[in-house]
Amino acid sequence: MTQRMRGGPLEGVRVVELTKVWAGPYVGKLLAFLGAEVIRIESLDSLDVTRTYGVKDINKAPGFQAVNPQKLSVQVDMKKPEGIKLVLDLLSKSDVVVENLRPGAVKRLGLGYDVVKAAKPDIVFVSMGMYGSEGPLSYQTGYAPCFAALGGLSLLVGHEGSAPGAMNIRYADSTFGAAAAFATVTALLHRRRTGEGQFIDVSAVESMTSMIGDTIMDFSLNGVVHECDGNLHAEMAPHGVYRCANNEWLSIAVSSEEAWRSMAKVMGQSDNALFSTHAHRKANEAALNQAVSAWTADRDVHELVELLQQNGVAAAKSQSSVDLVADPHLWSRGFYREVTDKTGQTKNIIGPSWKMSRDAEITNAAPQLGEHNAYVFGELLGLSVEQQKQFADSGVTR
Amino acid sequence: MSAMRGIKVLELSENVSGEYCGKLLSDFGAEVIKLERPGIGSPTRQLGPFSEKGDDNERSGLFAYLNTNKRSVALDVTTAAGSVALQKLLSHVDVVIDDHASGWLKRIGLDPETLDENWPKLVLCSITSFGQSPPEDRLHAEDLTVFQASGLGYHTPSGSPDDMPPLKGAGRFLTSYEAGLDAALCISASLYEREVSQRGRFIDISKQQVLASRLDYVLGQMVAGDMDVSTNRTQFDLFGPAGIFRCRDGFAYIWMSAPSHWDGLRKLLGDPEWMNTFPERWLERECTPERVKLCRQYIAEWLATQEKEKVAAEAQKLGLILVAVNNAEDLKASPQYAFRKFFAEVNHPVLGATLHPTVPYKLSATPALITMSAPLLGQHTSLLGEQP
Repeated sequence: MTQRMRGGPLEGVRVVELTKVWAGPYVGKLLAFLGAEVIRIESLDSLDVTRTYGVKDINKAPGFQAVNPQKLSVQVDMKKPEGIKLVLDLLSKSDVVVENLRPGAVKRLGLGYDVVKAAKPDIVFVSMGMYGSEGPLSYQTGYAPCFAALGGLSLLVGHEGSAPGAMNIRYADSTFGAAAAFATVTALLHRRRTGEGQFIDVSAVESMTSMIGDTIMDFSLNGVVHECDGNLHAEMAPHGVYRCANNEWLSIAVSSEEAWRSMAKVMGQSDNALFSTHAHRKANEAALNQAVSAWTADRDVHELVELLQQNGVAAAKSQSSVDLVADPHLWSRGFYREVTDKTGQTKNIIGPSWKMSRDAEITNAAPQLGEHNAYVFGELLGLSVEQQKQFADSGVTR
Repeated sequence: MSAMRGIKVLELSENVSGEYCGKLLSDFGAEVIKLERPGIGSPTRQLGPFSEKGDDNERSGLFAYLNTNKRSVALDVTTAAGSVALQKLLSHVDVVIDDHASGWLKRIGLDPETLDENWPKLVLCSITSFGQSPPEDRLHAEDLTVFQASGLGYHTPSGSPDDMPPLKGAGRFLTSYEAGLDAALCISASLYEREVSQRGRFIDISKQQVLASRLDYVLGQMVAGDMDVSTNRTQFDLFGPAGIFRCRDGFAYIWMSAPSHWDGLRKLLGDPEWMNTFPERWLERECTPERVKLCRQYIAEWLATQEKEKVAAEAQKLGLILVAVNNAEDLKASPQYAFRKFFAEVNHPVLGATLHPTVPYKLSATPALITMSAPLLGQHTSLLGEQP
């Protein structure tokens, strides 16, 4: 099957997803981008909300399509015992299962680790929860902004002296998914070397804390509790985002004296003793930021980026969604790429964050609901056409 | 048992992204040899947080955090002698991690273009800000500028007014940690394949792409033409009464999008009069800016009298999604983190016993473990002589 032979480091690995919304599906997407065959198990009676959100046609839901390219979909009614039996049959022929259903839901379905392990002793079973699957707070649930709030990030983001404003509301699920994906692949590596499978329990909140490890270390070492401080940075000044002409924004980060000298020269601030060393610039940071803001205010952001870059200063435009979708560099690197859906229509998607030699081919758009029933039930599970029809007629598969 | 025992990694990284990637592997048992410039060491040794005690090269909490379970060999690979030693090392390792600017690897004699020819079994991962061939106007970058180039920055924080600057995100190095994570993922996958094929691979990680790919749910819809793009700072936002509110002892975050959340709030507040002025199912069907504002006012008044942990526990039991907004001190006290042993005590010869945050995944057979504190500069240089 073309799905199985796309190249890439995970070619030949079969992953089954019992996932909803974003974090779980993101794991499957990363593994699919690395070459794995990823099969989503879906139920018409318990659809992923991203299949239905804002659209009438569950096969054309934009959010679902954005996070599920290059995957397969089978439709199974998991409320029926025969449905669970089919899922277990598929798991017995798979390498990984990823779930991010509500706490305890897979157990209630009859698909807990013990049951799956009995069907497939070396399975890599990946369980994702806001707080992980066990512990005094594991009953609690939430969405991405909750992960960032609980994990210690939200409090660190905001303008100096004001209430915390938090990361963008879209941040967290995918980071959680990336951490789970790394753990999954490492478990596969261990299994390949020893034959041993295992259970992986991933916490969304901890995945957030991992993104501020050094901030936590400051508390461990020195008892310092950080609060939001705008764009300040202990080791860099200037370090900020400054308004330019046309209400566009320029980010600048000066990490060395050499870079500052170059920048001071083009700004006409070479002789300003207030800014002569990093310590001076930190001590006079309000004045420094005022000087930079005055310098950028009426200038064109692209011209400033070019000028600063020519002088060895780290600077970039703060990119809006218009800028991002038009970013020629992202197009030329193949980050944005075209895939084809079942009906032959092409569609642009976000590709992987990496380029690698002997990469996996990424050609297919997200699947229609149950698009791969025949492949999975026929070819993988060996059901006859007649058996498949019986399952469909009785509503087990549709 | 460790998942990556016996795997030899050479770390050329001198920044947070590559060092974090190396740590993710070394905490799974990989043998990571970190090359550091003699006398100076990794630049991360000069970045805080610092302990008050110790030599300047050995008191960085950042370095201590990023380099657990690694060995430090003092060697300057940019010198002729260093280059010879590097070439020797390359034939003994399985993986090389680097995070210098593109072009640096070629200059030290490890050209990614000739990897297949010269080191066919080597997995080489390069983490850079914009990938291997950055355009002229993106040659110089730091985490802040990459964050701002990725779409995350322009839209941080959510709900930002137009006249306030976009923000840096949480902490100093979020961009680098994210990139280190994807690098570790690709290296691990490459090792998986290499077990059978015996073939190496070049991996080119772009920090900009890592951050932009984390936005796939929205950016994917935009690039497909299914969601509008604009210069609005709120273009990624979900609108509604959700947000951060002040409590008696800090802040709490409340999420509200479904009738069940509204019902939960009603139970928690004891069916207050003001809630009856809102239509049923308004969150889904009639979520006007006026109602959002009014609802937020009432929530703010009420939460100002509450304690974050206590009210969160009560709310969660009623199906309302409300959580504490934690700081480092809260996390250290978290019973859930204690249960999962998220903090590990690490004994460092200079810093003493310190609690480190660990990793967010628990593997039943091969847990990540910290068995060695970060190395002193050049602590393992004698290893060089031991290579056959």
